[in-house]
Amino acid sequence: MSALLQVRNVSKRFGGLVAVNDVSFDIQRGNIHALIGPNGAGKTTMFNMISALVQPSEGELLFEEHPLHKTRPDRLAGLGIGRTFQNLAVFGHATVVQNLLVGMHHRTRTGLLEAGIFFGRARQEEIRAREKVEEIIEFLEIEDLRDTPVGALSYGLQKRVELGRALAVGPKLMLLDEMVSGMNGEETEDIGRFILDINETLDITILMIEHDMHFVMDISDRVTVLNYGQLIADGTPAEVSASDAVIKAYLGRA
Amino acid sequence: MRSGHAVEDYRQLVALSDNPITWFWVGLLILLLLALPGLVPTYTLVMASAVGIAAIGAIGLNLLTGTTGLISLGQAGFLAVGAYTCALLMADYGWPAEAAMPAAAIFTGLLSLVIGVPSLRLKGLYLAITTLAFSLIVTHFILYSENLTHGPFGVRIANPTMLGMDIASDVGFYYFVGILLLLVSLFALNVMRTRIGRAWIAIRDHDIAAQVMGINLVHYKLLAFFVSSSIVGLAGALTTLRLRFINVEVFDLLISIEALAMIIVGGLGSVAGSILGAAFIVLLPEGVRILLDFLTPEMKTAYSNYVYEVRGLLIGAIVIIILRVESGGLVGIWMKTKRYWINWPLPI
Ligand SMILES: Nc1ncnc2c1ncn2[C@@H]1O[C@H](COP(=O)(O)OP(=O)(O)OP(=O)(O)O)[C@@H](O)[C@H]1O
Ligand SMILES: [Mg+2]
Repeated sequence: MSALLQVRNVSKRFGGLVAVNDVSFDIQRGNIHALIGPNGAGKTTMFNMISALVQPSEGELLFEEHPLHKTRPDRLAGLGIGRTFQNLAVFGHATVVQNLLVGMHHRTRTGLLEAGIFFGRARQEEIRAREKVEEIIEFLEIEDLRDTPVGALSYGLQKRVELGRALAVGPKLMLLDEMVSGMNGEETEDIGRFILDINETLDITILMIEHDMHFVMDISDRVTVLNYGQLIADGTPAEVSASDAVIKAYLGRA
Repeated sequence: MRSGHAVEDYRQLVALSDNPITWFWVGLLILLLLALPGLVPTYTLVMASAVGIAAIGAIGLNLLTGTTGLISLGQAGFLAVGAYTCALLMADYGWPAEAAMPAAAIFTGLLSLVIGVPSLRLKGLYLAITTLAFSLIVTHFILYSENLTHGPFGVRIANPTMLGMDIASDVGFYYFVGILLLLVSLFALNVMRTRIGRAWIAIRDHDIAAQVMGINLVHYKLLAFFVSSSIVGLAGALTTLRLRFINVEVFDLLISIEALAMIIVGGLGSVAGSILGAAFIVLLPEGVRILLDFLTPEMKTAYSNYVYEVRGLLIGAIVIIILRVESGGLVGIWMKTKRYWINWPLPI
């Protein structure tokens, strides 16, 4: 079977700045795949192109043969891609349960009139969605926080809710943009455990951007390295950490 | 101290409220409102009807501004569209109130899409100004399209009935507004606890994340405009049925500011807050008058001479206090108090 996601000769220019320069790589089904690189390397831009928020200047992005560069961002969830954002992007005034339920938006169909009388399909769908959300709440161990407004939670817990929301999409591929930066050791360990669990038990492919090298080398099956928009390495953690180009890119900036 | 109860049944989890005590109080309140005409003078009933209409308008505005985060200064315009549609259909085209009222609501909703579409790319202040401009255009149109709208002369309708009910009497109209307020509240509460209401909340809190979760921003923003403005249009139609004579002066731009004050004071994004806020703002001058009855006669005359100025000042001051002290409004204060007593004697 072909790769789950194929990135083909993708470039992105913002005015004169080349944020991503002719990058190609594949993401295989079932992998935990890390995308790393120094600040400003073009990692988030790559994520934004995969989520159809940003159009590539050149090249193609194929998700199960589906051209993401010709898709609208609100079609993504339906295709099976969930994501978290580098900066907190929770629905701060809504409760944990409401945040997770938003992730299921594309899996429900209730229209305005049904919703207004809350009868028939509206009620059925709410009950079913709520069942799924309870599973996620249990999985992420946030049972006590169901009805807490997410904005009132700690940074680590807000990130966890964002992870849950991406999970609620029911994705085949999950994009995680710097989940653990800004977290303490214990929180990082928790998130690592969740990511491994999501990958193994729920069979969801992961593409994650991380700066924490121990974390990346510990849990990834494959690593892609960007530097100034260029792909400088793509391989197993062992291969990548032995690459001269990677060592130079990181030491050069340190 | 009441302990948090564990809920096992998902049907219970999706209920409006799974707490029997809440239902008890709501039931008691409805009984009291049903009995009200036997208990109070007509003047109080007339005030209650005015509160009811303002509350329906506030619920509509709150869906757009509080829930979806699209700030509107167009309340007066939407009310006028609803009121004039209802009045003209009845006075000039012989429609019965039963048909003119829903038609007015839906027409207002559809017309709101006309400003909804250009507003899709606008946020905050720019959107507010667009809605304000809409309001001005509506007033202008009413004044200068005399053939259609009677221009500056206003529109008078005959005493209306509604499904055999005499809604021209103060008691009849009171019950009619009460029923509609109940229906509109239930509708809004229901929509807000489904995917549609959550999509609106998501757009308000983080539109990019909402989009990535599969929410079509164009679709849901326009839906918010339509639903909100239909409800406001309904409040406009009720204004026609209540006054039986309307002209543009009824829909002064200050109404838009007052409507925003209602939802801020009551609680943004909350149906109960819309009702509380509407009651608060509409009854404020009365409340002050009653308070002043205990003071000197000079102050009373001074107050009755400057009632509008005093009212404006008070509303402004209260909005500022609410925004600084308790952004959840009256509903937020109520929740905090409740939580305090439920957890008592433990700290919150
Ligand atoms: N919308 C935009 N307009 C203009 N320039 C942009 C835009 N988005 C990103 N850039 C620029 O593109 C380059 C790559 O940014 P990007 O956010 O992809 O980096 P990153 O690898 O995610 O970095 P970090 O590790 O700091 O998050 C940066 O120089 C950034 O300033
Ligand atoms: Mg980034």
